[in-house]
Amino acid sequence: MKNSMLNHPAPPEQKAVPSHPRPKHRLTSEIWKHRKEYLAISPFFIVFAIFGLFPIAFSMFLSFQKWDGIGEMTFNGLNNYQFMLTDPEFWKAVGNTLLIWVYSTIPMLFFALIIAFLLNAAFVRFRTFFRIGYFLPNVTSLVAVAIVFGTLFSNNYGLLNYVLSLFGIPSVEWLNKTWGIQLAVSVMVIWRWVGYNAIIYLAGLQSIPSVLYEAAKIDGASGIQAFFKITIPNLRPIILFTVITSTIGGMQVFTEPQVLVGNDGGVSGGGLTIVLYLYREAFVHNYFGYGAAVGWGMFVLIALFSILNWRMVQGKPSND
Amino acid sequence: MNIRRTVCLGLLMLIMVISGCAGTTPTEKTKTLTLWYWNRSLDDDLIKAAEQQFPGIRIDAQKIGGDFKSKLKTTLAAGSGGPDIVAFNDWVAELFTSSDRFYDLYDLGAQQIEQDFLEWKWRLGVTPGGEMIALPIDTGPTALFYRADLFEEAGLPSDPDEVHEQLATWDQYFEAGQKLQEHFDNKVKMLDNINNIYNQVNAQSDRIYFNPDDTFIGDTADSSMKTAWDLAVKAAEMKLSANASTQSSEWNAAMNNGRIASFVGAVWMKEILMQAAPDTSGKWRVARGPGGDGNNGGSFLAIMKTSKYPQEAFDVIRWIQNPENQIQSFDKMNLFPSATKALDAPVMSKPEAFFGNQATGEIFSASAMNVKPAYFGGKHGNLNGIVSRELSSVALEGKNPDKAWNDALARVKKELLR
Repeated sequence: MKNSMLNHPAPPEQKAVPSHPRPKHRLTSEIWKHRKEYLAISPFFIVFAIFGLFPIAFSMFLSFQKWDGIGEMTFNGLNNYQFMLTDPEFWKAVGNTLLIWVYSTIPMLFFALIIAFLLNAAFVRFRTFFRIGYFLPNVTSLVAVAIVFGTLFSNNYGLLNYVLSLFGIPSVEWLNKTWGIQLAVSVMVIWRWVGYNAIIYLAGLQSIPSVLYEAAKIDGASGIQAFFKITIPNLRPIILFTVITSTIGGMQVFTEPQVLVGNDGGVSGGGLTIVLYLYREAFVHNYFGYGAAVGWGMFVLIALFSILNWRMVQGKPSND
Repeated sequence: MNIRRTVCLGLLMLIMVISGCAGTTPTEKTKTLTLWYWNRSLDDDLIKAAEQQFPGIRIDAQKIGGDFKSKLKTTLAAGSGGPDIVAFNDWVAELFTSSDRFYDLYDLGAQQIEQDFLEWKWRLGVTPGGEMIALPIDTGPTALFYRADLFEEAGLPSDPDEVHEQLATWDQYFEAGQKLQEHFDNKVKMLDNINNIYNQVNAQSDRIYFNPDDTFIGDTADSSMKTAWDLAVKAAEMKLSANASTQSSEWNAAMNNGRIASFVGAVWMKEILMQAAPDTSGKWRVARGPGGDGNNGGSFLAIMKTSKYPQEAFDVIRWIQNPENQIQSFDKMNLFPSATKALDAPVMSKPEAFFGNQATGEIFSASAMNVKPAYFGGKHGNLNGIVSRELSSVALEGKNPDKAWNDALARVKKELLR
């Protein structure tokens, strides 16, 4: 067998491939040959070029300009970036965003995992109903949600303070405190995204082969052991996905604080997130060049955190 | 077959020609003016009446919702496709740097009606270079709104004239507040929030942040910036504030529940108060404000350079803003007049049930006559935002006032260099 293979002449395919006399025009002629197919997929690329690529390139250009949105643009060098890096409010916004991200993402993913685990359990009835129920917050209008949460957390006449008063606890001016604003925003993010992540985890749970659990049971593993030794390792890629998407989402929190406490992010700017800061500087204070620079600052930040997440959740490189 | 096809084609062409004609003939005669404004900034019936007044002119009035200023600025940035006539709010000075995008109303005959208007209001629409880009709509003279019943119970004067006399300065007002809060065991607060104190003190001033040549004067002695700051901080230290921010549901509830005894505000707060606090109807009064008369808010109309019919547009806005129509707008929409003649119209003496049959129009008219002409400058709003944020920190998180002032000033200086 081995010998016959060795004795074989050169594979026939090599000869079958014709050499191209004019390699320069190969690409264009290939495109021309498949012009109908290219035409068919072109709408996406045209729309992407107009609404995706162009704004990205333009914002890069804009970040080096000084522009109030109406008058002439003037070249501003690195001044926008310099202002950003030396503006205490920018760093406060970065800090707030990270805090809100930590407050919201960790409990959110934890609750999502528990909900997914429960939904996957054999004893649960009306599963579809619960799945829809948990997913519903995700498709609710964000502004409406923010207004409702605003009344829940309202300083003096909110529902939360009413509940506290039933237990004789003095009312808290939630939206007049930095931590209160951040808590309210985080709760809103959790409420909105916990169901979405639970559905994703549920899909991951259902893809774990049941033989693994059966084998563990036979070997005498407890339910908790099975959860940590089988469920969690198998869910790792799913967890990575949810962590990265919630990082990207968490870095871009905007509507919740804007509707809840306004363009300034409320008291001492407790709800001033990076995007809210960008919005205020560009659209309220009319520094559009600066807004673009903040956008690129945010891009760097998200990229850094995504890499960091990847490293953390991925753990050691393929040892197991 | 061929004949039928030709006939069909001919008929089709005829229809197209006729419908085409029908579509174009009126536009050759009627001139369409597009108007951008926001809800309640103009009387809709008056706009309709203007079409009757000027035959051959159609007004396409569009209420622009959401963030009006951002939308206007985006349109200006695009350079085309804007309206003929556009409303401005009190941020008119932010558009002075783009004055070349609007018609100078002096070129269209604004001089002829200048003497009809309040001088300080008129000047707000004129750039430092002397171009007039915006015609006044309404004004926002300020006064003290107070609960006469609570004042009386606490042993304070309750008659508007007496209140004006005895609470003439901010310090007297604060002292009265202390007395009132002691009487009510702090269950009722004298005022809504200290940011409003800061804004209202500045609203009474003619020198706030900038000189007409746009140099910063906030750190000089004759600017009201530091005075306003110190008074706001004083109110916080005397614990006179209910910490309810203006135009929040919190504010509405506090007003309706009688937790706030007074506030200084512009005439348009009347409408907001009446909607927020229906349960307190009849208990409120209005007196001339502590510290003097001032103006807060008020809007304008401008004509964009892209308009094809600037003269027609000017004639229309001139008519809409004539004294008779301003009186009508005040009567119907509570848009406080900017025309001097309208200020002593009989409608000003109309008693209002919400204010215990007081004619508040007389108080606001007197206030409007006394406003000092001020220059705001394009960065007024940005600076106000910076100071306002620091004041909130003082009021609500107990930030050291001196540190807050230094932080505010440092941030302002940084802002001015941008």
